[in-house]
Amino acid sequence: MRHEKAIVAVSGVGAVSGLGWGVAPLWEGLRAGRSAIGSFRRFDHQLHRTHVAAEAVEDAPEELARIPGWKRLSVADRFAVAAAVEGLRQAGLPLRLGDGLAGDGEAGVFWGSSTGGMWEAELFFRDFVTARRRSRLRDLASHQVNAPGDALARHLGVTGPVQTISSACASGALALGAALDAVRSGEVDLALAGGSDSLCQLTYAGFNALRSVDENPCRPFRAGRAGMSFGEGSAMLVLEPLERVLARGATPLAVFAGAGASCDAHHMTAPDPSGAGAAAALESALRDAGLDRAEIDFVNAHGTGTSLNDAAEWNALRRVFGARASDLPVTATKALLGHLLGSSGAIEAVATVLCLRHGELHPVPSVEPPVFAATEEVDEDLPVALVLDRPLPLPEARAAVSTSLAFGGSNAALVFSRWGASMSQGD
Amino acid sequence: MSQVLATPDRIKRLIVDSLHLEGVQPEMIEDEAPLFGEGLGLDSVDALELVVALEKEFGIKIKSQEMDREVFSSVSTLSHFVEART
Amino acid sequence: MGSFDEPGRLSRSILLTGLGTAGAYGCGAASLRQALAAADPQIHLSEVDRAAGYHRVQGARRAFLTERLFREGCLKEWLAPGEARRMSPPSKLAVAAARMALRCAGFADARCGSEATSVTVATTFGPSSYSEALLRQILFEGPESTSPFYFTESVANAPAAQIAILCRARGPSVTVCQREAGVLIALSQAAGDVAAGKVPHALAGAVEEVTPLLHALLDRFGALAGPGPDGTEVARPFDRRRDGFLAAEGSTMVFLETEESAVARGARPLARVLAWGSAFDPTAPRTGWGTGAKRLARSLVRTLERAGLEIGDVDRIVSGASGSRDGDRLEAGLLRAAWGDRPLPPVLAPKATVGEYAGGFLAAAVLAAGGAPFGPTPGFAEPDPALGIVPHDGSPLSPPSAVLVTSLAAGGAAAWLVLGAPPT
Repeated sequence: MRHEKAIVAVSGVGAVSGLGWGVAPLWEGLRAGRSAIGSFRRFDHQLHRTHVAAEAVEDAPEELARIPGWKRLSVADRFAVAAAVEGLRQAGLPLRLGDGLAGDGEAGVFWGSSTGGMWEAELFFRDFVTARRRSRLRDLASHQVNAPGDALARHLGVTGPVQTISSACASGALALGAALDAVRSGEVDLALAGGSDSLCQLTYAGFNALRSVDENPCRPFRAGRAGMSFGEGSAMLVLEPLERVLARGATPLAVFAGAGASCDAHHMTAPDPSGAGAAAALESALRDAGLDRAEIDFVNAHGTGTSLNDAAEWNALRRVFGARASDLPVTATKALLGHLLGSSGAIEAVATVLCLRHGELHPVPSVEPPVFAATEEVDEDLPVALVLDRPLPLPEARAAVSTSLAFGGSNAALVFSRWGASMSQGD
Repeated sequence: MSQVLATPDRIKRLIVDSLHLEGVQPEMIEDEAPLFGEGLGLDSVDALELVVALEKEFGIKIKSQEMDREVFSSVSTLSHFVEART
Repeated sequence: MGSFDEPGRLSRSILLTGLGTAGAYGCGAASLRQALAAADPQIHLSEVDRAAGYHRVQGARRAFLTERLFREGCLKEWLAPGEARRMSPPSKLAVAAARMALRCAGFADARCGSEATSVTVATTFGPSSYSEALLRQILFEGPESTSPFYFTESVANAPAAQIAILCRARGPSVTVCQREAGVLIALSQAAGDVAAGKVPHALAGAVEEVTPLLHALLDRFGALAGPGPDGTEVARPFDRRRDGFLAAEGSTMVFLETEESAVARGARPLARVLAWGSAFDPTAPRTGWGTGAKRLARSLVRTLERAGLEIGDVDRIVSGASGSRDGDRLEAGLLRAAWGDRPLPPVLAPKATVGEYAGGFLAAAVLAAGGAPFGPTPGFAEPDPALGIVPHDGSPLSPPSAVLVTSLAAGGAAAWLVLGAPPT
């Protein structure tokens, strides 16, 4: 019943990660298959069960540090603002820091976060309870998960819709889906969509309490995989109607073709092992994109490295892609950046866009052969076609999916198509 | 927690308290009864919670690799496991 | 977010056919209806436990709490004991409200009619008691004492996840965190998904938990109505003497579907959802309200235009004014700028009765759309000349045809909704 959907382009991306501040170090590290997971200094992890993470070491560009109020922002706020400024610059959109966005049309912010300013709130709480005089109430000003999204909206002078989604590991992907709807419907002319999260003790201890964390850097889809790794940072995609991008002489990085979401409704922490829920999100995304599954040329998997997630995700891929699943190239960005929790969907969307743009799928470092361990749910022992060590050239890739399968069963899938690919969509 | 109680009884009390099993008296849990799946019907998150409670109660450290179904199948098997470590 | 294939026309007509709510006023819409008519919120306030020493000595002491609902058992009607064993208080409240909404919508076993039901829940602070317990474990006992139970149920999306599991809702599951505007944004998201044909059914609403720590911190931020000379704490929307809001915990969930779906099921609608939208005021400080009323008003008018409505069509306002000094000022500015020289229709301010957070305000708006009687606005006696708004005085009102519902968040977000009278 919908009229033909407006084509939405990705006109700019920005990111902060364990590989550095900016998309340049991100892509350089991704294509080299270089993992940023290692020892970290954000907090003393001696008493925690594990001791590695992909920390985004404080290295903000100097111009950002001159933004009024920068010092008072939380780490997650800063990540968000940095990614936003970079993305807008790349999109060629007029931006005067402190003065905000110029130009016509309505802009909105669609953000995802699990942690918000929790890191700063932990410091506040410790002092509030043990040494009240030392605690500063203003350290809580950025505590809520909506603080980073609000921060970039405030610094850029955004006046359209601003919302933050906090649905665990699907937050960023769901935010991107909401942004896609808003651009298509004309509610906004420009959407700044993404996520930011910082390392903090609460999530670090919490996932460790669930014994979901590998003491070594994670090994998604490998036999003997032992859990996830943590990461932090931010990612933002600038989304606009295609005509707007072309009208100002800019070149899209990719087309944001579609989004889908579902819920396992199975268990609070464990995914539905059959992969049915994740498959439903993937199918929904393909339908939304108007693409046939045969047009998907690679997958950016959720791939946390936990025994249960990877098994369920493999089953989902098999449900959707059938026999082709074992030939479909797969990458797992978390092997390099760790799990950014709420923002993981956003940074993996950026990784997917970069892969399409550069015509190659980034690898993960090889630890052992990608032999997939069979479970009761899998009839045959089929290996995931994981890209190892060297980037896989895919200059003619038509489209890719990125999946985010969250704690609590919320699933999201995003479809991006390569700018310049001739597709069934839009014909 | 009384030190006079035998290990199985301490474990039963831990199960009821740490897993919020309202309406279940520790004495109602049989030593050999299955804890997970059937029987009390506990799940993986309950197992993890119980591990934290056991570590605190008995002053031991339980590694992830040690948390297998056999060790956790009943109060009796848990008891043996814990006593071997204290 | 809507599906506006042509400007001014919704692709599908959206009906609100179920309402569930739990708060200090009780369980169920009937208890809220009674509270709104009686307009005596002081009887619902409870003392917050100050034993932990978080509170300022002279600070606020009371809030709209739900401890009574847990203790006296009206929540037990909606939760089997085995199910709730590991749930945090917000999960329990949200599941109860969701089931009430489903039952109200005509689903006898309180399960969703279709697997593709979406769940969109707003929360500001998430499961605060479990988060605090976790932090205490991590910081003072050591990370290895962290409880898996607490962690699992401390995430903001735990209530939405529990609703999905227990009500068998397999559609999109989204948790929105946008403070005071969150509940209307959640509703917008759900209405947009139904309008776009993404899901046939949607559950949407809000949940909040007010712990002693949260209450004490809100008070330290100066957000709460403080004790007056007689010791009472009163929220005074739009009043000259207003000094803050009353914090509330609880949950409200509504059920949305298309008109065709409702007719096919023989459901009795409570309201139409005519329009929805949101905007941001970048002049707002992180924990306060700004001065961008005019620009917000332009966004509001645009939302109406896209739905084929204009300001003159609105004959009732359910304002998000809560008694906050700056929040109510911005709210008044928004309404004044949107209406211009025209007189405002009757303005209801239910947060004086239901407090801030927890979505009771949304439930009140649904009841208002259905023509429920509202008593005089509690706490209001002296108009603020700078605002020039006099909220409803309790006189009988005829059922409205279009109700504008607004809620402005600290930090800058703003959201609104237009509810229409239910089709007869």
